[in-house]
Amino acid sequence: MRFLDLLVMSVNNLRRRKLRTALTVLGVIVGTASIVVMMSLGIGMSEMQMELMESYGSMTAINVYCDTYSQPEGSQEPVYMTDEVIEQFRRMDYVDGVSPLLNVGVMMRQGQYTANYVNLVGVTEDYMKQITVGEGRYPKMDGSEVELLFGNMVLQNFSNGKRGSSYYETGELPDVDLMGKPIFVIYDMDAYYQSMNGGTGADGTAVKPPKKYLVPVAGIVAGGENEYNQYSWEVYTDLEALKAQLKKIFKKNPIPGQPTNKKGKPYSYFIYSNAVVYVDSIDHVKEVQTAISDMGFQASSNSEWMEQNKKQSQMTQMVLGGIGAVSLFVAAIGIANTMMMSIYERTKEIGVMKVLGCDMGNIRNMFLMESGFIGLMGGVIGLALSYSLSYLMNHLPAVTQMMMGMGGMDGSISRIPPWLAGAALIFAVVVGMVAGFFPAVKAMKLSALSAIRNE
Amino acid sequence: MAEEAEKKKESPIIQVKNLYKIYRVGESKVYALNGVDFSLRRGEFCAVVGPSGSGKSTLLNMMAGLEKPSKGEIVIAGTHIERMTEKELVTFRRENVGFIFQSYNLLKTMNAVENVALPLSFRGVPKKERLEMARKYLKLVGLEKQMDHMANEMSGGQQQRVGIARALVVNPRIIFADEPTGNLDSKTTKDVLKLMRQIVRKRKQTLIMVTHDNYLAGFADKQIHIVDGKILKIEEQHHEDEEEL
Repeated sequence: MRFLDLLVMSVNNLRRRKLRTALTVLGVIVGTASIVVMMSLGIGMSEMQMELMESYGSMTAINVYCDTYSQPEGSQEPVYMTDEVIEQFRRMDYVDGVSPLLNVGVMMRQGQYTANYVNLVGVTEDYMKQITVGEGRYPKMDGSEVELLFGNMVLQNFSNGKRGSSYYETGELPDVDLMGKPIFVIYDMDAYYQSMNGGTGADGTAVKPPKKYLVPVAGIVAGGENEYNQYSWEVYTDLEALKAQLKKIFKKNPIPGQPTNKKGKPYSYFIYSNAVVYVDSIDHVKEVQTAISDMGFQASSNSEWMEQNKKQSQMTQMVLGGIGAVSLFVAAIGIANTMMMSIYERTKEIGVMKVLGCDMGNIRNMFLMESGFIGLMGGVIGLALSYSLSYLMNHLPAVTQMMMGMGGMDGSISRIPPWLAGAALIFAVVVGMVAGFFPAVKAMKLSALSAIRNE
Repeated sequence: MAEEAEKKKESPIIQVKNLYKIYRVGESKVYALNGVDFSLRRGEFCAVVGPSGSGKSTLLNMMAGLEKPSKGEIVIAGTHIERMTEKELVTFRRENVGFIFQSYNLLKTMNAVENVALPLSFRGVPKKERLEMARKYLKLVGLEKQMDHMANEMSGGQQQRVGIARALVVNPRIIFADEPTGNLDSKTTKDVLKLMRQIVRKRKQTLIMVTHDNYLAGFADKQIHIVDGKILKIEEQHHEDEEEL
């Protein structure tokens, strides 16, 4: 028998019993929709969690710490992160980029607004290119000049020096024009406070107020005043330029934040307390992290947290999918039942077809196609239903409000990725055919003789 | 003459040898067929006659491959069908056999043309071709006007004609008919039987009809009388083709 003839026959058989077919299809619709909607909720939740995590930092980045204050006692040379160590990191397998973070606390001032403590971070290009710039451009990275990239929330640090009102009291952003007017930076905060309080230096002379430096602002990190990301609170600049600048300012004196040797003298090189190592893929994070730990540094990444989270969300998805699967299972029983009924009804017809020489395989396939078709119809309509339910869930104000209440996550709670839609369709058809298989085989094995025997 | 008779005997289309069908009913055995031997030539119209329960339907079913014999051989066109698997039997029926049922057994969801075309679809004949052939055969049985009627919109005689067209459309070597006129009135019965004989003779096909009615058996060239699973007698008679039909 030709495939097309078989198909037409199957469809005609379904059309013959419209109500029964419709009811069976309805079962599959409910089953498919419940699986898809449940899974979409699970996927939505885990993706939202992922997005939340990503806002805390990249998934392939490893943060390396080196506590400069609690070094091992005794004769052992302290393990410091120096440029040399950074180079070692860079040469490791799977490492895409490295950036030490040179943290310097500075004071910033524009007009009557002052930020008493701003963390200025010197980074390399590897780090800088992770940041998305909202306004302006990236700072120059050739080591020639310190240019600033402001975190999008740093402005909240500025307060009116005269009136002393800060953002936290007034809730109003200070009137600081980052991009238009210059910013003054005071690097030597000790000297500033000593001069303010009329203190004296080691040689007894009054400390002169430190020099203010006019520093150009290149850009601002993307995001509004309340949209937190991991770059929101810092000011970034080129590492080499910052190092050059600090050496120029402090000369032989210890640079604040840098450790000193046993005699209290500064080292001749920079020592970093933090560094970020970028790994090429999420699969290698663990390996690189272990290697760095073995070198004597503390390394941490989001990958562990994420892995744990992944497992958890997989569990959630499985539980949700399982709940949905129960109703599809019930629908499958419905299909099997319908097909069995259909066979009892058509016993004579099947017998006649067999006597007239219809291949047994054809008879089986005809029934399989019928049940598969029920599955397909249920799957398609169920999927359409799922999409509309999903749309409703994502747009009902009550639901979105509840979502905002739960940890302030935003975005769609129900997400149907293309693979889920495709898998649901295939699954519905397969369930239909599996449910129809036993009846189909029964039909195939029906004795032609007893079927045509006159009752 | 003797040579010719020999030749005819050499190539029978159906050969039944020492055929038994035994049913077990509890401890006792029931012989539905108890050693049946006969052979049929190509182009013969044969009637198997016997009272109810004589085993005539069992014989027909076994020749059509719907039932397995307990013992004995059935050779159709040189093949032993008692050794075939069910799958092979289906193929054998599809290629060689036409079937006419007592209760017509048309598919109620199809109209006359589609019903006649059904066995052709099992052979994989394209739709256009098989509908054309179906129309041709419906004309042959005199149903030009009822081609698009559904099965239950036709009278018994008309339905049986559709059934005959369905058996003929595959151009089978053998046609089995199980009480084909059992549900028809006497006038229609006569028409149908004459039609069957005429077509079969013209096309050199073998027709085997099962009936309990001696009068109907009289239409056949050969009558095999069966009583209690045994052949009582075999009668042969020749009919001239009736022109009045």
